[in-house]
Amino acid sequence: MHIPENYLSPSTCGVMGAVMVPVWLHAAKKVRQSIPREKMPLLGVAAAFSFLAMMFNVPIPGGTTGHAVCGTLVAILFGPWAAVLTISIALAIQAVLFGDGGVLALGANCFNMAFVLPMVGYGIYTLVMHAFSSTAKKNHAHQAATKAPALELVAAGIGSYVGINAAALCAAIEFGIQPLLFSNAAGQALYCPYPLWVSIPAMLAGHLSVAGTAEAIFTVGILAYVRKAAPSFGIAGASIAPSAAEPATPSTAGSSAPSVAQTRKARLSLAALLAALVILTPLGLLATGDAWGEWATQDVAESVGYAPAGMANGWEWQSLLPDYSLGALPDWAGYVLSAVIGVALLVIVFRVIAAGMKSRVDFGTR
Amino acid sequence: MERASEITPLGNTLPVALGGILTNQDSTGKKAAPEPTTSKVVDTAAGSLPAWLLESEAYEPAPDRDGFVQKSLLSLTGVLSRLRLDDGQATRFSPSAPVKLAMGFALILMTSLSSNFAFTLVVLAAVLVRIAALPQKALQRAVGVSFAAAGMSALIMIPALFLGQSRSALLVGTKVLASVGIAMVVALSTPVHQLTSALRTFHVSNLVIMTIELALKSIVTLGNVAVEVLRALSLRSVGKNRAKGTSMGGVGGVTFLKANEAARTTADAMRCRGFEGEYQAVAREAYKPIDFAWLAALAVVVFAFVYLQGVA
Repeated sequence: MHIPENYLSPSTCGVMGAVMVPVWLHAAKKVRQSIPREKMPLLGVAAAFSFLAMMFNVPIPGGTTGHAVCGTLVAILFGPWAAVLTISIALAIQAVLFGDGGVLALGANCFNMAFVLPMVGYGIYTLVMHAFSSTAKKNHAHQAATKAPALELVAAGIGSYVGINAAALCAAIEFGIQPLLFSNAAGQALYCPYPLWVSIPAMLAGHLSVAGTAEAIFTVGILAYVRKAAPSFGIAGASIAPSAAEPATPSTAGSSAPSVAQTRKARLSLAALLAALVILTPLGLLATGDAWGEWATQDVAESVGYAPAGMANGWEWQSLLPDYSLGALPDWAGYVLSAVIGVALLVIVFRVIAAGMKSRVDFGTR
Repeated sequence: MERASEITPLGNTLPVALGGILTNQDSTGKKAAPEPTTSKVVDTAAGSLPAWLLESEAYEPAPDRDGFVQKSLLSLTGVLSRLRLDDGQATRFSPSAPVKLAMGFALILMTSLSSNFAFTLVVLAAVLVRIAALPQKALQRAVGVSFAAAGMSALIMIPALFLGQSRSALLVGTKVLASVGIAMVVALSTPVHQLTSALRTFHVSNLVIMTIELALKSIVTLGNVAVEVLRALSLRSVGKNRAKGTSMGGVGGVTFLKANEAARTTADAMRCRGFEGEYQAVAREAYKPIDFAWLAALAVVVFAFVYLQGVA
């Protein structure tokens, strides 16, 4: 779903970037208000989960590939605005260092994956949770409490599935309007050559079937692990589930504040999960082929019979590790190396942001 | 009303500055007497009061700028807090200081010599992981210094971009980032005394080690002296004081005298404890079992270096 360089016209990129600027500013403001300083490094870990999830390519029938994003997961753990900022930073690192997604198309990619995806996913998750809780009121309260964690996972699965499909639809529309808006006198597209009636079915078929399922599996799997191994991961109020929010609110119940040993155990569990995901990233290489709409220019030329002028003569960014690979190293080594660099950078970025934040002391309700 | 207690600037009377900061003393060391008042007495309904007591008093010191004092104070305290609080902290898994120093040198050397991107990126990945795990203050310093250095070298390499050599500009920037990152990690994860003792293992001259060691320790002591003198200068300069700038020499002078005194005291103390100008080499106990694991890791990195030099 990472729109590469020159698939969108510079004007489309400009509009999408302009749309995202106020969104980023609002997200930054919300994050400053809602995320305590000590939780900021955890946001880096959440960004790392998303970064790694995007490296696991899954094969889609028809020869293309797709991947999870985990935007809904971050929204459930830290709130939707924190997810906007987190996924945006992960996407920026992917574009600048690894050439995954265009630098000019960063605004569009952030709109799809960092804004639409977590917002829709979190909205659906909230609706489903409310539906569950209203049903639970009619039933016995203690039965509802025991089922709450499982219900949260179901809601997260549904939310993430719908979220990624909404993002794929947006990306398909952005691809599809290009030939309608930008073509030369001969009727040849200047940028992405596939119109809406090709791009929407192609993108949605893959995401409704495989990529959406992968997103739901990643979201539910990581959420279940995190809730069990590190219950204090995330912030209070982001999650709707009562059983999940309680351990993360030490101010409301002093006795439920995690002890030092619990915190250390939680940290180790998260580090173990991150390390396991980093080591397993080469599995993403098993899916051969490119994702839909991420082909090289000559592949597009072979497919449609001509090389769109804007794509052939467009600007290209020289990234550090193009496509997560290094000429001298085997593919799997390049992939693992990229994963390590990406995860470390994300953790560093969020820890530096945390250092720049003012520490706040909560003296209770005023 | 102008008061006699409008204190004269510190000038060259530095011992006074140190001794009587908060007392209302002037440059001669005497207690400033209140302004002599007239003996005129006014009879009021409440009784008789001296006339000067009935005058309304609205003393406001003339606005004055003491930017340089405040700036000097801030920068000095900044340096001191860094030296005091951010002394390198080794972790459980850290190798011993000599091994760490040797690994640091070897990695920087190999990064500089490597002619391909792959090895540089392997080192960069390792350095970034280590930096991500540093404590907050150390992380800020490591990130600040290494990214500033990389940015600087990228700036210098800008002409390469116009000559179509963007790849080499990127390579140089990455190499600088990795190398400075290694140096910062070594410095920030090793206590200073362990670093100097590790230098002895590499047969660095005793004189050099002693100079580094004493300089590092004296910076804190003398920094404290300078901070005290500056604070005294700031407190004593009430009202307009045009001659404040000239006191800077005094601040330096006191610090120098104190440095002299401290050096003599340290030399005497060291002699009393039997120091003959020679540092003992690091004892065998200084090495830890985990050093072997780190040396094995270094061997793997050296192998990767040789292999990648041949491939790319």
